[in-house]
Amino acid sequence: MTLAIVLVVIAVLALAVVLRIAVSHSLQITRRGHFSAQIEPIDIEAFRNLVSPAESEYLRRRLPAAEFRRVQRHRLQATARYVQAAARNASTLTRVGQSALASSDPQTVEAARQLVDNALLLRRNATIALIRIYFGMAWPNAELTATPLIDSYGRLSGAAMLLGRLQNPAAPVRISA
Amino acid sequence: MLQAHSFLWHYLWVGPNLLLLFLAFLLYRRKLHTIYPFFFAFALIGSLEQLTLYAADVIPSVTPATWWHIYWAGLMVEAVLKFGVVAEIFAHVFNSYSAIAKLGRTLISGVGVVLVFTAAILAAFAPKNGHFGIVFGAHLLDQTVYLVESGLLLFIFLFSAYFHLSAGRRVFGIAFGLAISACVHLATWAVMANGGLQTQRDLLDLLNMATYHLSVLIWYEFLLVPGRDRVFESGLASDSLGARLEGHLADWNDELERLLKQ
Repeated sequence: MTLAIVLVVIAVLALAVVLRIAVSHSLQITRRGHFSAQIEPIDIEAFRNLVSPAESEYLRRRLPAAEFRRVQRHRLQATARYVQAAARNASTLTRVGQSALASSDPQTVEAARQLVDNALLLRRNATIALIRIYFGMAWPNAELTATPLIDSYGRLSGAAMLLGRLQNPAAPVRISA
Repeated sequence: MLQAHSFLWHYLWVGPNLLLLFLAFLLYRRKLHTIYPFFFAFALIGSLEQLTLYAADVIPSVTPATWWHIYWAGLMVEAVLKFGVVAEIFAHVFNSYSAIAKLGRTLISGVGVVLVFTAAILAAFAPKNGHFGIVFGAHLLDQTVYLVESGLLLFIFLFSAYFHLSAGRRVFGIAFGLAISACVHLATWAVMANGGLQTQRDLLDLLNMATYHLSVLIWYEFLLVPGRDRVFESGLASDSLGARLEGHLADWNDELERLLKQ
């Protein structure tokens, strides 16, 4: 009977998760999107310092080993918050792209599909980067590379810009420099 | 083989399956069977299977052993169709997004293997009932099928929620109805397969049938009633998002590009 109880508990938990996702899904559909409010600003200068290998190397040389590990952990925690913000921005752009997939204009649909793909790639890479960051917190001496995330964000920005232009040719939006 | 049961019991066995059969007809009329072939097959064959079981239950000449043989055959066909529907849901949700389709396929394959392995272990540890082997075996197979089905559907829900993906109202409805039915059936069949509530099996049957009825109504609502699929205000340029992206994404992008060149 213990097995039955375990399975009943698992089934109830699974049902609760499915219902919760379903409710949030219907809330998303009901809610009118104001995407601008959902995009989080990211402090570029701070992020640059945090992921800079030169900065890490400088700190490694100047600080005692124990102090360096403590500082490096703090830097990684901050990096994680920036990556999480980038991942949330990617999610918002996924929804922007999905809403544009319903457009009747084939060019807009293609641009939207590209945006969604890039946003999903960024979210995937952000997840992997976060895992590596948490790994880095455990072993602060390990090198951290943000290359996949950087690459994805670059493509995402280009795709978002293209979609913005297609949706409003009269007032094109310059998203990337 | 007819046993004395309430009108509600009879209704809950026949009603949802007649509704599901009619839903299959409506799907065919609206040509939705070409978009959701596995769900169409599930609606058609699953409902006919259950109606056959009901007929076998009320026909006096059908012996219990024959009834359980029919049940076994139907269960295996239904299991194949349900896994087909799960694969169909997965394909609709993920296949159009190349960035994560491969990752999704890899993960769901892994989850499937783990679930089958877990279900086999749980079945091996279930208390044996030698007197009614065919009944006991059917309960175990039900538990196994619903465990794997619930796990796969839960994975699809979690994975799509994590990536904020939406495959549309209809696919969501199919998955939602199937998931509710699978989770409740998993709980009830687990109790039955492990010898619990032996004097109150009718209550478990009623719970199963009522849940199935709810799922059928969910499928009607999501497959046939028009709804809002994508209502987000479309357009990067329609509000100030573009301007804000210009301020944040471009700087972010420049900085990341600079880092790439380091």
